Amino acid sequence: MDLASIIKGRRSIRSFQGKEIPEEHLQAILEAGIWAPSGSNIQPWEFILINDPALIKKIKLLSPGLYGMPKILIILCMNKKRSERAGRQGPSLAIMDISMAAQNMMLMAYSLGIGSCPIASFNKPGLKELLDIPEEVDPVLMISLGYPSEWPHPPERRPLEEVVHVNVYGKHLRR
Amino acid sequence: MSMENILEDEHFQLLAFLLTSARGCIDEPPIYGPLRLIDAADKLISIIVKKYGRELIELQEIGRKIEKARNLVLTNEEEFTKTLDELVRSLSKIIKKA
Repeated sequence: MDLASIIKGRRSIRSFQGKEIPEEHLQAILEAGIWAPSGSNIQPWEFILINDPALIKKIKLLSPGLYGMPKILIILCMNKKRSERAGRQGPSLAIMDISMAAQNMMLMAYSLGIGSCPIASFNKPGLKELLDIPEEVDPVLMISLGYPSEWPHPPERRPLEEVVHVNVYGKHLRR
Repeated sequence: MSMENILEDEHFQLLAFLLTSARGCIDEPPIYGPLRLIDAADKLISIIVKKYGRELIELQEIGRKIEKARNLVLTNEEEFTKTLDELVRSLSKIIKKA
């Protein structure tokens, strides 16, 4: 599969089959995360891998945005101590880095036929309590993984002619 | 029912959903408010249908409309609103008939 097909083909999956994800595919997805760009190479991320179905059920109780019963959850966290190295920009840069790591993971998952969904709607203090996440680490995003029950149709995208400004803001791209 | 197996109780699951949604709605996009409410309604329908049996056809129909509404919430707010109106009309018919 070429890169453009992977980028355009990925969907947010909210309904999963019961099939297990092979260990080597899971490793590939996690590894894609650590190869994301990172401001000043701080790598402010920590990933919590959840593969225990009973724990996934508990996390679901704290996560209104988590649909279906995924096989795996990856909790992407910001290590605040590490992010401080980037000065006052640290937290916002860390969010960007973690977002790029998440995208890498989801694209890798899709290339392997695995569905994913990024989820921000979960209760952070509740999750910290449940997973013993220390004070200096904040969960910022969750990715659910599993083989999809179906691949949804893509939602409409704003066209390039509307989104892209050439040289000055307001001068739209023409094709 | 003991606290040890409370996680399996659907009422408890709904309770957890409502409380975490209440907190989430403070920071999330306003449209997530109606989304969480219809999701809660869907969970409640499952509880009612399990308790009183599958002959509650009209209620199950509301469940199907909720599924339709959920798919529209982030892509077509106008259609989502229309589907919510349909849901309430279906509910009114049940109330009227009972």
